[in-house]
Order: sequence, then C-alpha cells, then structure tokens
Amino acid sequence: MNSFDHFSVLLPNGFEDLLPPDAEQEARAITILMDHFAGHGYRRVKPPLVEFEDSLLAPGPGAALASETFRLMDPVSHRMMGVRSDITAQIARIASSRLFSEPRPLRLAYANDILRTRASQQRTQRQFCQVGCELIGHDDLLADIEICLMAVSALKALGLADITLDLTLPRLTNEIMKLYNLSDAARTQVRAALEKREQDSLDALDPAPRESLKALLSACGPADTALDQLARMDLPAELRPDIDRLAATCTALSKALDELGITDIRITIDPVENKGFEYHAGTAFALFAKKARAELGRGGRYDIVCGQSGDRQSATGFTLYMDTLRGAMPASKPADTLFVPSTESWATIKTLRDDGWRVIHGTGQDDRERLQCTHELLNGQIHPIG
Amino acid sequence: MLYRFFLACFAPFALLHFPMSKTSKDNSDKLILAVPKGRILKELMPLLKQCGIEPEPDFTDENSRKLRFTTNHADLDIIRVRAFDVATFVAYGGAQIGVAGKDALEEFNYADIYSPLDLKIGYCRLSVAMPDSELEEADCTRRSHIRIATKYPNLTARYFERKGIQAECIKLNGAMEIAPSLGLVRRIVDLVSTGSTLRANHLTETETILEVSSRLIVNRSALKTDPERLGDWIERFRQAILS
Repeated sequence: MNSFDHFSVLLPNGFEDLLPPDAEQEARAITILMDHFAGHGYRRVKPPLVEFEDSLLAPGPGAALASETFRLMDPVSHRMMGVRSDITAQIARIASSRLFSEPRPLRLAYANDILRTRASQQRTQRQFCQVGCELIGHDDLLADIEICLMAVSALKALGLADITLDLTLPRLTNEIMKLYNLSDAARTQVRAALEKREQDSLDALDPAPRESLKALLSACGPADTALDQLARMDLPAELRPDIDRLAATCTALSKALDELGITDIRITIDPVENKGFEYHAGTAFALFAKKARAELGRGGRYDIVCGQSGDRQSATGFTLYMDTLRGAMPASKPADTLFVPSTESWATIKTLRDDGWRVIHGTGQDDRERLQCTHELLNGQIHPIG
Repeated sequence: MLYRFFLACFAPFALLHFPMSKTSKDNSDKLILAVPKGRILKELMPLLKQCGIEPEPDFTDENSRKLRFTTNHADLDIIRVRAFDVATFVAYGGAQIGVAGKDALEEFNYADIYSPLDLKIGYCRLSVAMPDSELEEADCTRRSHIRIATKYPNLTARYFERKGIQAECIKLNGAMEIAPSLGLVRRIVDLVSTGSTLRANHLTETETILEVSSRLIVNRSALKTDPERLGDWIERFRQAILS
C-alpha cells in the first residue's frame, strides 16, 4: 500500500514528474539533437530562466508571447521580470547584443525548459523543453534550406517516421489585406476565417480580395500541386518574390532530400497558416508526424533588431517541443543492465563499466530479478537472464 | 575475457537504438469520421450517401449498442457520439474528420480543428431568452453582472464581456427553460430552432449570439500528414453540398 499523503504529491495542472525510463529517453534525445546541431557548426548557448520584462518581451519574437509569460517583481531592482516562455526571443537578444560583433552568419543552438502561464489542448504541459537552433545574419535560400533540412534530419535521427514539413508564408495574407485596404474589423474576420479554413466566411468581402484569399485557401496541400496552383494564381506582383522563394526552397529541398536518400518526408504548403507565426517574415514551417497528435516544432525566417543602432538582421531557425516529441518517438528498449555479485572485485566492476555496461553491484542474489537486470556475471562470463 | 565478446553482441547503449514499433495496419491507417447522434444525423444521412459513404446496417439501428461502425470503404470507420463530443474527438486526433455544429466549435474554440465546409444542415441559432414578464428590463446595459443558465458558458461569457457585463454562467445540460421561472437565473442562453419550447415556457428571445449550422471539421495534424486522403473526403463533401 502506498502510504504517502495524496494531497501533498499533487502537482499543479500542466506540470509532471518524468520518471525512468522517460526522463532518460528525453535526455538522450536532447543529446542526439545537440550533437546533430553541433555537427552542423551550431554552438550552444544557455540563456537565463528569468530576465527583465522589457528585454524578454522586446519587439520581435518576444512580443507575441506576452500573454503566455509568467511575471514576477524583482525584490532587488524593483523591476518586473518574466520567466521565459520561448527561447528564440532570448537567442535574438544575445545575437543582437553580446554577440553583435561575432562574424555572421552566427549559428547558435539551445536546449532549455520554458514556462507558460496556460496549457492548451494541444500542449498540455506548462513546462517543457525547447530544443532548437538559429542561423542569424544570412538572408538567402541556402540558409532556409539548411534550417529545413536540419529540422527534418533531426527528427529522423530520433527515429520518427512519416514526417511532414508544412511550409507557409505568414506575411502573405497580411500583405493581401493591406493591398486591398481592408478595414481592421474585416481583417479580424478574415484572420478568423482563414484560421479555421472557412471558405464561406470570406463571402462577405469584395470580389477582388475574396477571390485572392479563396485561391490561397485552395492552394493548401502537397507541395507540387500547391505550387502549381500558386503559380497559376492571379496574385499581386508584390507577392511574387516571396512565392518564388518558396518554390525555390521546395525544389532545392526535394533535391537535397533525394541526395540524402531520405524518402519518407512529405513537403506540404499552406499559404494561409498564420497563427503563432506573428513575428515571422519570409518562409516559415511547422513539423508534423503521423504518430504525433500535435505539432512537433516550428521554425522560419524572422527579423531581429540590433541594440542601439536599430539595424535589422534577418535570421532563421527552428524549435522542437520535447513534450510532443517524446510522445511520438518510438519506445526505447530497456537498457541492458549487468548484475555483478558483491564478491567480484572493484577492479572487475570498473573494467565492465569502462566497457560501457551498466553494472549493478548486488548485495544479494535476489537483487538480480528485483532490479530488472538483463545480464549477470557468473564465473567471469556474462550471461543473459531469462 | 569472454564478456568482452558479449559486449559486441549486446550493445549496452540500447537506448540509442529506437526500434520501430509495429502497429497493426488495420487501426493506425484507418480514418475515423465522427458524427453526432440524434436530430443532425437524420439530416446528415442523405449527405453521407451522396459522398458515397454507406455505413454497415447496425449504424441506423437505434437499438445497436455499437459505437464504431465500418463502412463500404475499407479505410473509413464511423463513430456515433454526442454532438458536443464530435469536436473533442477530432481536436484530440481520436477522429480525423467529423460533423459538428458551429455552436460546439465556438464554445470549445479548439486550436487544432479546421472547419472548411458549411454542410448547410442542422440550422438553428444560439440566443438569449428571458421571461415575458420581465421584458421591460431587456436592456441590461446598466448591469455589471448577470446570471445566466446555459450549456455554453464560454460563448455566453465572451458575448456579454463584449458588452461590458460579467456573466455568471450556471451550467445546465438541458431543460434550461425552466430555470428562470424557478428563480435560478433571469436569462438563459440556448439553441433555438422554432422557438416553440421558449413560448411554451413564457420566454422571449431577445438577442441572437450565433447563427448555427453543421460544419465538416478536420484535425489539423491529420490534414498535414495525410493531405491526399483527407483532401479527397473534403472534396467529396464539397461536391455533395453543391449537388
């Protein structure tokens, strides 16, 4: 019987204890990802858990997250502080301040926990680990492709199958609304309609914006057909460069995946996806996998504003959410553990550990099964148990 | 030593190898269509037929205890659940497509549901109603707080918030019409189609919050990972409404 006080172990909504083997699986996944990023020349940074509100929620990646950020007052400086609810904003701050004079492009990676005021249906945890990387100061196709490719191959490295990379141009709908001079009220309505993909809710608009937006809505789906539709669309000339860039990204990406022999990746396009991409400019994307019930991560191009000079630098990157990733990763086999009776010498145990075995140094024979050992050392030989 | 040999055979870093788990093809690859029981289902049946979906005979048998039914499509099953629960099943990915009322969609406001098509069935409206005898107090702009009986606490609170009024919602699951006369509340927010239930209980409809019809809904993740199959079903429904 459990005799602990149930009330005293209740955790607040959206928080959890990670137990074996989940905690280890997550830690190993993070190690695999960070090694993967390091292999591409991304260097790790570790920003603080808390910073002053005005820097954490500065215009750019941070501003969009104000309502999700826990705030507290610093008893020392009497200024408001925020607990980070996303790491990208912190990386942008570091790149535009302390690493301002580092040569560009700057490649940075991170793996840290974040805290949010609210959980959502899709993301039920209020604390989870974000793992990602940012490529700062290089606005070209090659950078876009590098980031997409890294995101996809990172998921592959974790053993995920049936991955979808969903590309979007978050600015596109805003540009169309600006072009046709839609009122603020109409823009709110259009955003709501597009968010739910409700074609009929656009019917109240004037013919020109209505047809453009409807055409965009119908151009969602597998990349080749969506690009075909976008190419044939009668879109304002101002939007062409973005669409051409998207098409070029798709082509180059397919070619790269081909060369790498990665076949089970699906590239889709959703030109109206906008929610959560408020600060993005240029190509952005979200990552899905068939076994995962929610988004695994997202990324894309955005601008960062550099300190006093106010210069803008273009950056791109992506973030993976470890809570949804953990649910989608194939279950890991329990690690092999070797039972060594207490009669063995410390030197033998050290040699075994040096060889990579997980060694449980048992005091009694019953430990062998009780501690779920998979192998045992008997007369100097290793035997599998059971 | 001999255990060095075993080392080669049993990689101790087993956690690094993520073995592909084998899921049964049958269940993981089937699409699930969630439909509401009751009134809407009767209106939906002809539409399903036009889409070329023919459920197994048990589906129309009111006495059947089954909840999940096969169809003439090997990769499509139908589940029959409460109208409110269709949105929940689709939002959490339990079902990939569904038919849900605009009322339920707006009440839950799930982020990961797309609702591309108005199926033009299940028409009604979500309205505020109050006792006939209190109609002179219909203008509630002087109030800061109002108590309302409803099945839609979120929609109701949001609607009154915009008017600057705090709505204290008492959640009831049916028979709201009785609540005002028993002194529970002064107003109710409920679905109205003909208005006869309201009239029978001496209530008058004062404001419409939402025009309701049923919509085809899809799970966002499912649409992204399986765009061909889901796109095909959406297209079939689109054609069915047009015809």
